[in-house]
Amino acid sequence: MTHILTICTASAEKLPSSALEVLSAAHHLGEQVGSGKVHTLLIGHGVEHHAQTLVAHGADEVSTFAHPRLEQPEEEIVLQVVAAAVEALSPDVILFPHDNLSGGHVAPRLAHRLHTGIVTECTGFEVADDGASIRWLRPVYGGKAMAYMTIAGPIQLATIRSLAFDPLPADEGRQGDVHPAAFSLDVDAITPRIVRVDQIVTAEELEGLSLDQADIIVSGGRGMEDKENFTVLRELANVLGAAVGGSRPAADLGWVPHSHLVGQTGKIVAPNLYIAVAISGAPQHMSGAGSSKTIVAINKDEDAPIFKVAHIGVVDEWQNVIPALIEECKQVVG
Amino acid sequence: MHIIVCMKQVIDPEVPPHLFQIDPVAKKQIRGRQPLVISDYDEVAIEVAIQLKEKTDGKVTVVTIGEKETEESLHQALAMGADEAIRLTDPAFEQTDALGKARILAAAIRRIGAYDAVLCGRQAGDVELGLVGPFLAEELDLPCATLIANVEPANGKVRLKRPTETGYDILETSVPFLATLTNDESNVPRYASVRGIMKARKAQIPVWSGEDLGVGVQDTLLQLEELFVPKREMVCEFIPGESGEEKAHNLLLRLQEAKLI
Repeated sequence: MTHILTICTASAEKLPSSALEVLSAAHHLGEQVGSGKVHTLLIGHGVEHHAQTLVAHGADEVSTFAHPRLEQPEEEIVLQVVAAAVEALSPDVILFPHDNLSGGHVAPRLAHRLHTGIVTECTGFEVADDGASIRWLRPVYGGKAMAYMTIAGPIQLATIRSLAFDPLPADEGRQGDVHPAAFSLDVDAITPRIVRVDQIVTAEELEGLSLDQADIIVSGGRGMEDKENFTVLRELANVLGAAVGGSRPAADLGWVPHSHLVGQTGKIVAPNLYIAVAISGAPQHMSGAGSSKTIVAINKDEDAPIFKVAHIGVVDEWQNVIPALIEECKQVVG
Repeated sequence: MHIIVCMKQVIDPEVPPHLFQIDPVAKKQIRGRQPLVISDYDEVAIEVAIQLKEKTDGKVTVVTIGEKETEESLHQALAMGADEAIRLTDPAFEQTDALGKARILAAAIRRIGAYDAVLCGRQAGDVELGLVGPFLAEELDLPCATLIANVEPANGKVRLKRPTETGYDILETSVPFLATLTNDESNVPRYASVRGIMKARKAQIPVWSGEDLGVGVQDTLLQLEELFVPKREMVCEFIPGESGEEKAHNLLLRLQEAKLI
């Protein structure tokens, strides 16, 4: 029996959708390795009520580790909680969401401590016929290629890329074993070597709809030429009820806040409609937007790589198309 | 402050998809005519290191693992404003994974001696696993801060700016520490000055071997089994029109037809 542990950090208000995506990955993996049991470690403060949601989405067992210091989880503390859990539960496979906390920090450091390999940002896997070895699939070279990797080491560790797996449909009648974590850790005794001394909310970050809430995203790239021109994209987004995004050059030049950067190192998005304006379509950007259901590209260069991945294309200067499109949309949407 | 930056040279990731080729047997990218460049987040780390050097009247040392051709990137880092560069090379280093690389870098950093900061890019511009930074922090037992945009000295400690969903966090830690760097508007890499390029040209780059570092062949915990380019059959439907207005009109009709608006 393969024991799969998924790691979930949550706030009292919100269970991140990534937790359900990781459960879905664990469920599929469990089916492939045969008789896999999925156990979720739920970490946070005041998060116990999320356990049943996790069960409904595929967890067979949920261990909750709650502590007031986990209200805003710090990497150092989460790392020690997960390390204690691994020691107590001896999982064969550990799956994390690939977010900044787990994928970018806790999972790699845990792998080092366990002296085992880790594959980050997995989008899939294959299990050998004997059910013994797992080939982990992930994008490389900015999504231009894919790689299968294997891990040598006592435990298989992987982080799951955002939106790579659809959550399983909720089954409210599903039964699971929900209980407080059966290991102890003196959280109050932990003195992190890095402390947060301030949290700064910048006004410009509060830009309209966030990317993960939107059915439609209007994104601009370097071809928008300057910050002022983004006003036109905001107006289009406003008319369509869309969120505004940007490519990496647009974010680096301060035209959109970094929380609205779409791309491999920004947000991975998959809206119904993605409108890419004056974006060349660099792999780093497309690996963040490529899963959108419909991609519309507006670019003056008919040879731009974006037209290789777009469903619908308009070859023209954005100045000729977008203001006219705004007027058209106003009439339709009213 | 003495700041050490770990740098990787990669084939320019900006290669257009139709020129991107792999060797499925060797399981790596074919360089073709593409230039070799400093991996983009490592270039950000170099920029942040130079800014920190300027604020503290400090010194920047750049370290890389690689063959002779990586010296071009080391010279570029020196031209940007780094003070010293070291190249680590050995036949035993060739097949190392992230853990092996972290161990080689850790040995080199110990050999360099006194330092206050180790900066790494958040992930390399080729395989993008994002493991070497956190592994290196574990090897050296340093406080580890990830996805940092900038570093400020603060009364013998440092303050780290970390972008968040709604703005940024300010973290504080003591030195020495390790940080992995991400990009923001405060750390767009500078161009090398002419004076910098002249100075870098004359620089001698020490080369350290496995024997110098006391590092041999390392265990491999991560194996690349297969590399392939996924097939994408995509035909873009172009919206007709004589003018921008006409195209906008036709686009809207098409989007309404598809029930997207």
